[in-house]
Amino acid sequence: MSSLKQIRFLLGKDLRIELRKKESLVAMAFFGALILVLMNIASGVGKQVDVESGAGILWVAILFSSVLGMGRVFAREKENGCVAALLISPISPGEVFIAKALVNFSLMLLSQLILVPVFFVLFGTNFSGGPIALIPILLLVNLGFSSAGTLISSISAGTRRNEVLLPILLFPLILPLTALAVKATAGALAARPLSELSGQLEPMIAFCLIYSAAGYLLFPFSIKED
Amino acid sequence: MTESSGSAFLSISGLKKSYGGLEALRGVDLALQQGEFLCLFGPNGAGKSTLLKIIATLLRPSTGQVKVLDFDLHEQPEKYRAQLGMVSHQSFLYQDLTALENLEFYATLYGVEQPHKRALELLEQVNLTARADTLAANLSRGMQQRLTIARALVNDPSLLLLDEPYTGLDEHAASVLRDQLQILHSRKRTIIMVTHNLRRGMESATRLGILAKGKLVYLQEKSKVDPTSFEELYFRQLEAL
Repeated sequence: MSSLKQIRFLLGKDLRIELRKKESLVAMAFFGALILVLMNIASGVGKQVDVESGAGILWVAILFSSVLGMGRVFAREKENGCVAALLISPISPGEVFIAKALVNFSLMLLSQLILVPVFFVLFGTNFSGGPIALIPILLLVNLGFSSAGTLISSISAGTRRNEVLLPILLFPLILPLTALAVKATAGALAARPLSELSGQLEPMIAFCLIYSAAGYLLFPFSIKED
Repeated sequence: MTESSGSAFLSISGLKKSYGGLEALRGVDLALQQGEFLCLFGPNGAGKSTLLKIIATLLRPSTGQVKVLDFDLHEQPEKYRAQLGMVSHQSFLYQDLTALENLEFYATLYGVEQPHKRALELLEQVNLTARADTLAANLSRGMQQRLTIARALVNDPSLLLLDEPYTGLDEHAASVLRDQLQILHSRKRTIIMVTHNLRRGMESATRLGILAKGKLVYLQEKSKVDPTSFEELYFRQLEAL
């Protein structure tokens, strides 16, 4: 089977399990929405927030909720030693990495389909930019976050403190991407054109490439016992 | 993988493995011909599971080499792994997939031509056809064990590794495993099993070995072994620890 087919096949398996159980997706969407509601209450219900604060609130909700699902995707693979079964199969660790990163990417995207509208309902009355302008920023962060997250969750899933270790290791790693995303989002919420956001989007692309390449290259070492 | 005349199917030379300061394997040499069934006995901590994990490419040796015919396992792993099957302490089953889906998943992963057909065949062989659509999580322990055996055979492996396969098996699952091993052995598949269970190990194997303190201290064809003296030798190794 070609690499592409293997990856598609692994991705299909994980999405089938996720859609059957819905445990990661429901947890991510619910927790993210809860953060947004709490932030709305904290900033004063009905009061307007500026674009910078709004962007920060959106990304706190997305990233904190995404970590929940990310930890679960790899923990499931470690149950009953399934990850060892993948490692002794003809599929390469690099293909496993790509498939897992795509699962995380998909879960983030699906939860954002709920969180972004909730965000605009709660905070969006004074933003001149709409949700469509956020799409390139969301896609880039999803790519970088899911690549780095897949690598880190492959390390943390084998530990007893998975839920604690994953965010502690992951958030510092993606800090540059997050900072750029918040700034770009603030620009998008202020309805600045995409060309004006290139100062943030271009380094975000570079960070995504770095996280993806590093994840792909380091994954075989992080996933093995020795 | 086919046997070339005169060359060993599996050869292990000078194999050592250390975890930090702990030496799990201290120089193992072994050669097996295609179709041999080796049963390795040894106490806890003897290095049995480590040896199997190295052969399965789950671990890299500290020094030494493992070759299956001319494949260096750690240089050309994918082709080798397509011919490998393993029954481990863990089931390797996805709890949220059905019995049939689990087998289809692994069959497809191994590039089996008709994965659905192969999965149904295996379910029949392990008497689980009626439970094909039951989630693995909802199967009884004995049924999960039979499904685990079926999973290991999904690619009709040339080399089968078994790590304490009889531990915790109910009588039905044990008899299914014994039958499947006999079928594989009659079809010239090479099998390496590590176990504590002398009776189970000796009833199926063609060669017997004892691994103690990371070294292969005994290796002999079963036909040349007197069961009573072998048992005495094995228990002497246990007492020496």
